[in-house]
Amino acid sequence: MAPRAAPFLLFAPLLLFSFMVRDGRAQESDTGQGAQRFMEYCAGCHGADAKGGDKAPSLLSPGSTIHRSDSELFHIVRDGTQGGMPPFAQIGDANIRAVLQFLRKLENNTPAKSVSAEIAVTGDADLGRALYFGRAQCSQCHLMQGKGGFIASSLTHYGRNRAADEILKAITTPDTPLTPSSQVVTVTTSTGQRLTGVLRNEDNFNLELQSEDGRYHFLARSDAKDVHYTEHSLMPRDYATRLSAKELNDIVSFLIVSSRNPPPEKVGTR
Amino acid sequence: MRPANCALRALTVMCLLLGLRATNAFGQAEKARARSAGPHATSSADANGAINVQQKDLLQKPVAGNWPSYNGDYTGARYSSLTQITPGNVGRLTAQWVFHPRVVSPLEVTPVVVAGIMFVTSANDAYALDAKTGNVLWHHVRAVSPGLIDDPGQHHNRGVAILGTRLYMETDNAHLLCLDARSGHLLWEVAYATSNKNYGATSVPLIVKDKVVVGISGGDDGVRGFLAAFDAETGEEKWRFWTIPGPGEKGNESWPGDAYLHGGGATWMPGTYDPDLNTLYWGTGNPAPDYDGSVRPGDDLYTSCLLALDPDTGMLKWYFQFTPHNLYDYDAVQTPVLVNTSLKDQQRKLIVTANRNGFLYILDRTNGKFLFGRSFVDTQNWAKGLDGNGRPISAGLIPDEKGERVCPANGGATNWYSPSYNPATHIFYFRSFEACALIQSNTRPFAEGQAYYASGIRTTGETGKSNINAFDLDTLDFVWRSLQFGRNKGWGGVMSTATGLVAFGDDAQNFVVVDGRTGKSLWHFHVGQSVHASPMSYAVDARQYLAIAAGGDVFSFALP
Repeated sequence: MAPRAAPFLLFAPLLLFSFMVRDGRAQESDTGQGAQRFMEYCAGCHGADAKGGDKAPSLLSPGSTIHRSDSELFHIVRDGTQGGMPPFAQIGDANIRAVLQFLRKLENNTPAKSVSAEIAVTGDADLGRALYFGRAQCSQCHLMQGKGGFIASSLTHYGRNRAADEILKAITTPDTPLTPSSQVVTVTTSTGQRLTGVLRNEDNFNLELQSEDGRYHFLARSDAKDVHYTEHSLMPRDYATRLSAKELNDIVSFLIVSSRNPPPEKVGTR
Repeated sequence: MRPANCALRALTVMCLLLGLRATNAFGQAEKARARSAGPHATSSADANGAINVQQKDLLQKPVAGNWPSYNGDYTGARYSSLTQITPGNVGRLTAQWVFHPRVVSPLEVTPVVVAGIMFVTSANDAYALDAKTGNVLWHHVRAVSPGLIDDPGQHHNRGVAILGTRLYMETDNAHLLCLDARSGHLLWEVAYATSNKNYGATSVPLIVKDKVVVGISGGDDGVRGFLAAFDAETGEEKWRFWTIPGPGEKGNESWPGDAYLHGGGATWMPGTYDPDLNTLYWGTGNPAPDYDGSVRPGDDLYTSCLLALDPDTGMLKWYFQFTPHNLYDYDAVQTPVLVNTSLKDQQRKLIVTANRNGFLYILDRTNGKFLFGRSFVDTQNWAKGLDGNGRPISAGLIPDEKGERVCPANGGATNWYSPSYNPATHIFYFRSFEACALIQSNTRPFAEGQAYYASGIRTTGETGKSNINAFDLDTLDFVWRSLQFGRNKGWGGVMSTATGLVAFGDDAQNFVVVDGRTGKSLWHFHVGQSVHASPMSYAVDARQYLAIAAGGDVFSFALP
């Protein structure tokens, strides 16, 4: 079974995929409809992320949707509960089913629909692989199917559901947008010492950096004289000139192709 | 910083330089401060943020600043040598932070802490946290698996094992994951139980030398239990020990036809390991079907056993069966704690374990010989006692369709929640539960996708009661037994410390610290959620913390 690296509860991608072209005409997908109905009828109490609000509990917690059958949930939504949830029979059975389908998607944490099969691959993925693990040095930081570095994100599933031009843009103009947990900062302490690392987390009191050797550094913000936010990740910003257009296309193709071909599942002896 | 670790990586000089620089740069040495977490808590080693767990870290006993595996050290004692928190100051213990992972069922994880970084799991998700703040360093996201039943269908998970820069965990559907512990990224995974859909995993791997040992869940659902060891580097399977003997093997006479394929004997809690004897100790669960013994005549080896295995080959050295022909769901997966002490004036290598069947056992761990046993519950009716070899003398209670009143109840007189042993006082601590159940039985065939209890449980209407127990290995008697009050039957294990403290989650959603000599309560904190986990202790920057998972959150406490 391939691991799923998709982030949890990302409404944006779900909504993005909710309008798919079917039979030549735009049609709202079931999950998209469910997401919309959820925002309309449910989010006010259960929270936009379904994790609960002031008036109603999380739908992703023990004993909630995950442990109930579809028909059980259907009746809860349609008829309400003694605990105070109002009935939603008025929105119609189809909408209730769409909401339930959406909740199942949230639990299963799966993208609504894979579009990777529709993405054209125009480069040479084998040459792209050689570049990735060789001269382009991608693997020094990025993991690909268990091989590569750790300081940057895993790209094992990166090419899934991403268009080639989007990937190309991410390589040639990185940090647009900058992922907060990838930002490089330089901290100068009250004694004048400097440390540069990736800002894995921060708040008003603490800074949690990881240096390129993998080591974490836990700093009190009060001990820092200055925190310089570089607005950049560790990703080189010169790939547009370091690599040719063909080479870039080969790498993009490798990322897409490898995401479609996860490594064969290892199975125990029995 | 660990110079020895660095040397292994041929980076000694650089490592030392980096270590000194970071220490000076961020004032951690100064802040490591006047305060000391105890004789073994070397702040620079514990707070350097560099994950690189070596064999010597895993072999350290008792544990100090790091808590590198589920039970702390290989003995399963769940005993911390940290001494900053004492009976005198524990009253000032203060919550430091709360971490809320995404949650699908009550957390059963024991946090692992290495170099100031805490690793926890919730279902199939793993997190690395700054152990001082609870802030997330990385989060490995993995959805729960659909289609699982019974315990794996609850998606419980008990945490991680670490070796080098790698982290190992089990998923609900019995995959062994290897993550890069520095990033949380998946390096490889192995689906290790695929021949029966009722397999799952809820436990935590155990590292032994260069191998990762994993067990399985599903013993109430007709799987065939096993332990398997994988190469920590490659994920290649090195050995597999089936807890239900196949055709032609010793013990197969209990499993006519293909009954051995559904005989249970799950291995759903981590074992312990004695490096000197090169022996891995691991408990097995109940036979399947749970309550219908008619289809599995005889002792039902190797269910409800303690197994002693060669960790290099998986070969069985000896076994001890606590409940032969178990009809009452008495798993034997409770931690087999390794204790070196004198028993009846003779220095011995022992195993001490309180079993779900209501008896406490002391075994010679060099050969499995029974040395001592006694009942630890007031109400016990399934056995008339133990014979000279530790074998129970059956009272002949056989569940039928009408139901048989059996005490302890199917949930056991104790269960998977951890025991603890304080080597300084020779006191063994554990949680017990007194209850009876009407156990019903009928015969039915195994079916994938369905549990395989072969009938079920009804209440007797009697009120149960919980105790936290302190059992003295010198006098072979209880020092104290502390009756627990509250509306939530506790599922919280215990730990102990070098200052004589004992910590656990009680039956009323409190995290409690008591005096290990008397059982007297010294401090408590209402976590507001039932505790289904066992606590641990760690130190960062020479400051000692106590941590526990409660309900859907992880709490960490320290002195102000």
